[in-house]
Order: sequence, then C-alpha cells, then structure tokens
Amino acid sequence: MALRSLNLPGVGTKYEFETDKGDTVAIFFTKTGTIQMYTLQKGCHTPSAAEMTPVEARRLGNILTGAIIEADQESVEIAFSALADLRVTIHTYIVPRAVSGKTIEDLEIRAKTGTTVIAVSRNDKNIINPPPSFVFETGDAVLVIGETDQLRLFEHEIMVD
Amino acid sequence: MEGIILALFVCLVLALVSKYLTLPAIPFYIIAGVIMGQAGLGLVASDQISSFFSDMGLIFLLFFVGLGLRVDKISENRSAVLTSGIIDLNVNMFIGFVAAYLLGFSFTEALIVAAAFYISSTAMAVTSLIENRKLMMRESETIIWLMVFEDIAMIIVLALLSAGDQNLFFFAAKIIFALAILYALAHYGKEFLVSILDRDDELPVLFTFVAVLATAGFAVLFGVPDTMMVIGLGAVFATTDPDAFEQHARPFKDVFLVIFFVFFGITINLSGNVSLYVLTVICILAIVSKLISGVLTGLYLYGSAKSGLEIWANTIGRGEFSIALAVLYGSPPVAVTIAVMVIVTSLVGSFAAKYSGTLLHGFSGRSRHHGPPPHRMRAGH
Repeated sequence: MALRSLNLPGVGTKYEFETDKGDTVAIFFTKTGTIQMYTLQKGCHTPSAAEMTPVEARRLGNILTGAIIEADQESVEIAFSALADLRVTIHTYIVPRAVSGKTIEDLEIRAKTGTTVIAVSRNDKNIINPPPSFVFETGDAVLVIGETDQLRLFEHEIMVD
Repeated sequence: MEGIILALFVCLVLALVSKYLTLPAIPFYIIAGVIMGQAGLGLVASDQISSFFSDMGLIFLLFFVGLGLRVDKISENRSAVLTSGIIDLNVNMFIGFVAAYLLGFSFTEALIVAAAFYISSTAMAVTSLIENRKLMMRESETIIWLMVFEDIAMIIVLALLSAGDQNLFFFAAKIIFALAILYALAHYGKEFLVSILDRDDELPVLFTFVAVLATAGFAVLFGVPDTMMVIGLGAVFATTDPDAFEQHARPFKDVFLVIFFVFFGITINLSGNVSLYVLTVICILAIVSKLISGVLTGLYLYGSAKSGLEIWANTIGRGEFSIALAVLYGSPPVAVTIAVMVIVTSLVGSFAAKYSGTLLHGFSGRSRHHGPPPHRMRAGH
C-alpha cells in the first residue's frame, strides 16, 4: 500500500492509495471545508463518491480504526506505520460518582493501569494535561491514553461506580 | 448609494437561485446588471462609490490569484503545468485572435478578445470538479494545473497590456523593483506578519484589508500598475501563511466581486453596435476551440480523445478573468462581446461539466462492443 499525497492549488489536498487487491481509495480535503472520499473498484472506470463534513469524516475514521463508538464514550486508535506499527488509543470516559472527589494521585492511575489522563472536559471547559493533584467531579469527561489492554484495566479498576 | 443596495439585493436573490440550480452565478449577475443598467431599464447607474467597490472586487480577485501562486509548488510540478498549458494557450489564443481580427476588431481589441477568449474561469472549473464529484479523475489534475498555467499567462498578459506605450525595459525594471520591496518587507517582517495573523481580534482582517488597499494605492502613486502589485503582494504573502490570508480576505472578495460583476453589466454600453453575427461566431468558436485544445491535450497526455472531452467539459466556462480584461482594457464593443461570451460559455460549460459523465458513458458503452479492454484479455489467461 503506497500512500500518495498531493497539494492541488485552489482545490485542497489529495490522499490516494491502492489496496493490495487493486482497489483505489482517494480522499480530498477541499478548501470549501468538506471531505470527499472516492472508491474505485479494480477494473471499474467510474468511482463512487461520498461528501462528508469534518465531523462525519472523523466518525468514519474512528470506525475504520476499529474503535467502538458509543454515545458518550468514544475512542480513537492512532497507528504510526513508520514507527514499527506503534499503536496508541485515546478513549473518553465519564467519571462515575465513586471517583468524585479523588485526585489522579489518590487513584494511582499510572501505577495501577499504565494509562495517562491527558485531558478533562468539565462543563464545556477543557483542562489539558491535568496535574496529579487534579480532583475529579462526577460527570467529568476524561480523555485517557494507553494501549487497548491498559485502557480495559482502567475501565475495570478505576472507573467503577 | 440606493443603486448599489438594489443591485446587491437582486444579486443576493440570484445567488440563491443559481446555487439552487447549481449553475454558476456570474452570468446571472451580468444579465441582471444589463437589465438594471444603462443598456436596460436605467434603474441603477454607476457612481463614485460603486466604482470604488468594483475596483476593490477586482483587486481582491487578483490578490487571491497571487495567493494561489506558490512558486515552489509550481516549479515542483513544472512538466504537469507546462504540457497542457502550452497547447491550451496556443490553440485558444490563435483561434481567438484570428477570429476577432477577421470579424473586424482592431489589432489591440482583437488581442484583448483573444486573451479573454483563452482564459477559462478557474473558479468555475474548480467548483465543477468538486460539485460534480470528479476530483478522482486523472483529468482533474490536468485541469487544475491548466488553471494555474492560465493564471500565470493572465498575469503576463496584464503586465504587457498595462505597459501601454512605456519603454518595456524601464517598465519591467520598475515592476521588479517594486516587487523586490514587497518581498523584502514580507521576508524580514515574516515574524511580525505571523504574529498578527495569529491574533483572534479584528487585527488580522484589518491588516489584510489595509495591506491590499495600501499596496494598490502606493502602486498608483509610483506609476506601476496596481493589478501587478496586488498579485505580487498575494504571491509574497503566500510565502508566509496563505491559508490565513485567504480566510481573512475572502469576505471582502466575495462581496466586492459581486458588485464588480453586476456593475460590469450595469455599465455595458450597447452603442458599440456589435452585430449578432459577430457574437454568435465568437461564442461558438469559444466552445469549439476549447474542444480542440482539450482533445489535443487528452491525446497528448493520455492518448485518449475521451479524456480530452472531459478536460473540455470542465474548461468551457469563461468568467472572472475575462471580465477583468474587459473592464480594464475593453472598448465598449469588446466589453459587449466578452460579456456575451462569458454568459454563453459559463452556462454551456456548467451543463457540459454536469452531464459529461453520462455523455462519455455513452461513448465508452459503444466502444466496449468493439472488444474488451486489453487488461481484461490478460486476466483470462
């Protein structure tokens, strides 16, 4: 799979790659802000196209990375193919009542699970890289980074009501 | 002042209608202008304010052309820009010039008609590729680089026309000197520029507006064409953060350009007395000559006339640049000719681009009966 990217003046950026089976996928980030995705089946002459808003495109991206999407919990897996296929997942969780009032340090999140809390969203305000002394409140949305197994541990050990 | 408001209101309605019908809006603005203006009902006349706004429209259009000139990107894709561009330039300039000259235009007039005849509308081509979901076609890359080549060709045409009777060498030296000053300002003031663009108050927009206006103003003061300088300013700004400048200048361009188009229609003077015969011939040739250059390009690049037809379908429409030439250098008969050509080609082009898929599918459907394409035969083994 060779990814080709190209800047098209006046139009935007194009990414294109051919799959091992010979199908072609092309994505265009247009200057109008929309994202167009074309797929061309091997042997076919006319591609089919879908136009998406940025939000829709991100949703599609999440689905394609294999993350499960729930209404208020969402996760994104990022794979860096250049770095020996390094994969990290970022997952959101909603803080349950039992965790309210505790700090990141109290919960020993890093020691117990290996994950890191990278951001907290509270009442439409975002706190990036919260300190160990950060106190959780019920309903906070936390953004946690780690491997899939570590995140499963976080969900079962820390986010328990 | 009431005139501009009336004109803008009519344009707003027309813009809504044209978006609904997915047709280019430019022909509607011009037709509305002609109906409201001195050639029609005489409801709106141009005054100092409207001509100031129109000038702004042209200046911001050219500023955008400059922002699109990323010298590094263009030189990276030199061969893609050149091959198709040269065929397109030669075929259309030649046919346009000979036709206009034989139809009775003077030498200079014929040159301007030919330039307007040659330059397709970049905005229409790009919009049609996006809206008709054609970006993946191999021809669309060719079309996009073709538009870049045409932009550069237009800058050269503008430079030559604005030189007029001056000594060309002295004139070029003056322009290069002024451009060097702009470049030095942007180069040494880059950090300052970026710090302004990063702010989220009114400064980025105010700065962009004033920079464009001041450049145009100084250009006039120093006797260099403001058109050249504004393009130069865009190209120089493109070396810092072109996307930010585009974002800040877009509202001005969008509004002023509509005024520019509608007042072009309003000020059209039918006393030039261009015969229907001349207009018909120019319009038909404008469509046919892009067909010739398109098919030649398709054959040359892809060995396929069908590719050529696809290139043709998306480049028929003449638009903003043709009108700019008419406004800047056109005598009344030239302006009428270009106006009609823009209206006809932009509408024909819009339909051709929309239905080219269905049209070409008919062709390929028929050719398939003559035998399967080569790769399918190989798959059989």
